[in-house]
Amino acid sequence: MAEVKVKVQPPDADPVEIENRIIELCHQFPHGITDQVIQNEMPHIEAQQRAVAINRLLSMGQLDLLRSNTGLLYRIKDSQNAGKMKGSDNQEKLVYQIIEDAGNKVGTEFHHVGQAGLKLLSSGDPPASASLSAGITGIWSRDIRYKSNLPLTEINKILKNLESKKLIKAVKSVAASKKKVYMLYNLQPDRSVTGGAWYSDQDFESEFVEVLNQQCFKFLQSKAETARESKQNPMIQRNSSFASSHEVWKYICELGISKVELSMEDIETILNTLIYDGKVEMTIIAAKEGTVGSVDGHMKLYRAVNPIIPPTGLVRAPCGLCPVFDDCHEGGEISPSNCIYMTEWLEF
Amino acid sequence: MTQAEIKLCSLLLQEHFGEIVEKIGVRLIRTGSQPLRVIAHDTGTSLDQVKKALCVLAQHNLVSYQVHKRGVVEYEAQCSRVLRMLRYPRYIYTTKTLYSDTGELIVEELLLNGKLTMSAVVKKVADRLTETMEDGKTMDYAEVSNTFVRLADTHFVQRCPSVPTTENSDPGPPPPAPTLVINEKDMYLVPKLSLIGKGKRRRSSDEDAAGEPKAKRPKYTTDNKEPIPDDGIYWQANLDRFHQHFRDQAIVSAVANRMDQTSSEIVRTMLRMSEITTSSSAPFTQPLSSNEIFRSLPVGYNISKQVLDQYLTLLADDPLEFVGKSGDSGGGMYVINLHKALASLATATLESVVQERFGSRCARIFRLVLEKKHIEQKQVEDFAMIPAKEAKDMLYKMLSENFMSLQEIPKTPDHAPSRTFYLYTVNILSAARMLLHRCYKSIANLIERRQFETKENKRLLEKSQRVEAIIASMQATGAEEAQLQEIEEMITAPERQQLETLKRNVNKLDASEIQVDETIFLLESYIECTMKRQ
Repeated sequence: MAEVKVKVQPPDADPVEIENRIIELCHQFPHGITDQVIQNEMPHIEAQQRAVAINRLLSMGQLDLLRSNTGLLYRIKDSQNAGKMKGSDNQEKLVYQIIEDAGNKVGTEFHHVGQAGLKLLSSGDPPASASLSAGITGIWSRDIRYKSNLPLTEINKILKNLESKKLIKAVKSVAASKKKVYMLYNLQPDRSVTGGAWYSDQDFESEFVEVLNQQCFKFLQSKAETARESKQNPMIQRNSSFASSHEVWKYICELGISKVELSMEDIETILNTLIYDGKVEMTIIAAKEGTVGSVDGHMKLYRAVNPIIPPTGLVRAPCGLCPVFDDCHEGGEISPSNCIYMTEWLEF
Repeated sequence: MTQAEIKLCSLLLQEHFGEIVEKIGVRLIRTGSQPLRVIAHDTGTSLDQVKKALCVLAQHNLVSYQVHKRGVVEYEAQCSRVLRMLRYPRYIYTTKTLYSDTGELIVEELLLNGKLTMSAVVKKVADRLTETMEDGKTMDYAEVSNTFVRLADTHFVQRCPSVPTTENSDPGPPPPAPTLVINEKDMYLVPKLSLIGKGKRRRSSDEDAAGEPKAKRPKYTTDNKEPIPDDGIYWQANLDRFHQHFRDQAIVSAVANRMDQTSSEIVRTMLRMSEITTSSSAPFTQPLSSNEIFRSLPVGYNISKQVLDQYLTLLADDPLEFVGKSGDSGGGMYVINLHKALASLATATLESVVQERFGSRCARIFRLVLEKKHIEQKQVEDFAMIPAKEAKDMLYKMLSENFMSLQEIPKTPDHAPSRTFYLYTVNILSAARMLLHRCYKSIANLIERRQFETKENKRLLEKSQRVEAIIASMQATGAEEAQLQEIEEMITAPERQQLETLKRNVNKLDASEIQVDETIFLLESYIECTMKRQ
């Protein structure tokens, strides 16, 4: 019998089989697998075949290539995302990638090594929950240009395409009104971009702030009044004239004058403006952790107060408010003898 | 001395003492201390007149003199003392509230005459009071003396420095100018005088009493020839004490505005207890125990000890920080923080001026920068909740009016503006000085306007004076009703109206001067105590 040298063909020499095995492995290790792991799993496959399979998977957009401290990692790409990118070419995918990465400000040790050999240095993907709690400020178009090295016209075209596909959105920043930042469609922009509760469509709502200001002050004033009229012993009187920030917040919410949901910090900023108006004073007391409205073991209490002096003497004379004070001297065009402000004032 | 202060001094001297004194006074304020001959030469007035002017000024404590080496006497004017003349009405009014009419007239006489002996004061005041009393009643000297002694006890009037009585006669020639000394203990010591007498009513030629004055006249002349028992002991009004009183008043009213009436009464009691014991420039009063305060509360206030303790604790904890707790002995030792109180009052004055001049939003920004000490423009918008454009505008306006200043912090060594932090800050001392200067100029403007108004209507005023004189003389000689009517009609109705308006305007301007002077007082006290602390 002649010995037939039979090369034992490994059962999964078929490239498709290899790919499927790799995909299965990736599913098993959702955080990514190194080349070493694949090699261990399928020791009979040559390196070249492995490389071909991996490249195919990458180009099909089913695998993500990441670089970590230990080497290259392959990770299964979210199939939902994979479906979205159908029909977009590489450049669009790249830009989308940049925006997605920028949406997650927290840096990790992963670096995204992009397809088609383009190296990107943006930070990788931490768990999805972290991106929502950290401030999402979006990325500026110029930054996208730097990161991708694509020319301006290309970038604009791509951004328009992505916007029409409802994958990303543009948010006007409140700090610089001409500047647009881009972020993924489904993400909420951060307060620093939209300005929080006080801005509606990039406009500062002064009237809203004023109304809230007056309402808070009236509430505190009436509290102080009732405390003063109760005529009890002074300690109790003073303590009852105080209102915690939590009480004020509840009162404002119940008033229902605000269309936007206001948090306690918002109310505290309003109360701070009242302090700067000189109408309210604040003290901080230590409070037990469990009491309502306490933050980190202390509570802020507010109280309406009167100014300590009446309008001072200088402003009761016309000279105190005169806009041309520096030009006024005896014998000049403007002098005390012919001052029209004085004439009007004397006629009161 | 700034230009505004010199202008104001010249206006005041002119109004109170006349042209010549004003010339000499302003010359001295401008050029510092000068000897007699130089003054006469520079101002071009005769030596005689210069001497008289200096006499007047020295009598009113506006000018002091010093003997330099080589026997040259130099005269120096005190600009700040001249400015106190604005405050005379306030001093007189305060004494009226504390010691009623008698005290008021005593202080008025002292202020108008500069220095007086006690007997002279008592006599004058008794005479004046007698005139205002009903017929038949006269003012007793003893009552006036009592009030005077009380004023001296509470340090509202003090002895002037006098020539020291040398025990052994000086062999050499007397010095060109005497050096005046006053012993600290003697400053409020009232000499033992037995002033017996009553106020004399000054009668214009009265037929009924025609016989009496003739008989009494020889007695008057003999009275004047008697030596005055307290010759050489002159008294003057103690302005520092009045200032202390005003400061206490301001603190008490501030506490009343911020808290309630009872707290302000407690603070007033504490201040009254430390009137004599604390010097006027001390930062804190002496510590007072709560027991002492309880005993010294005015009789009408019957609050229990616990309530008092609660009030004191509240006062000590208040963010105003006027009252501080310095110990626990005697039920708790409390002090009043005078410098802090003055600083708060000065800050409140600044805030009030900013509010009236620029609006309440500007006032909000001003208080914000005061609290944060140094703050960037971006942060101002966020904290004050004011739209960016308006906030910028207001900050720049306040900056241009010198209420605020910028602090630059460069990021790079080349101080490039795009790479520098600009922080807004308020320096209270310099803002107070700026405002004080403005106050001086304002008062000068008000005085000028008042003089202008009076000058405009001079003709009318003279006419009305003539008419009054005629009416008075005709009444004295017993004219008929009809004739009086006729003369009164010399002043027509519109002229009467004009006179009314003039009187009203002059009063308004006068009152306004006094109000601005209140601001000056607060700012000056604050600047003085801050400079002393440094």
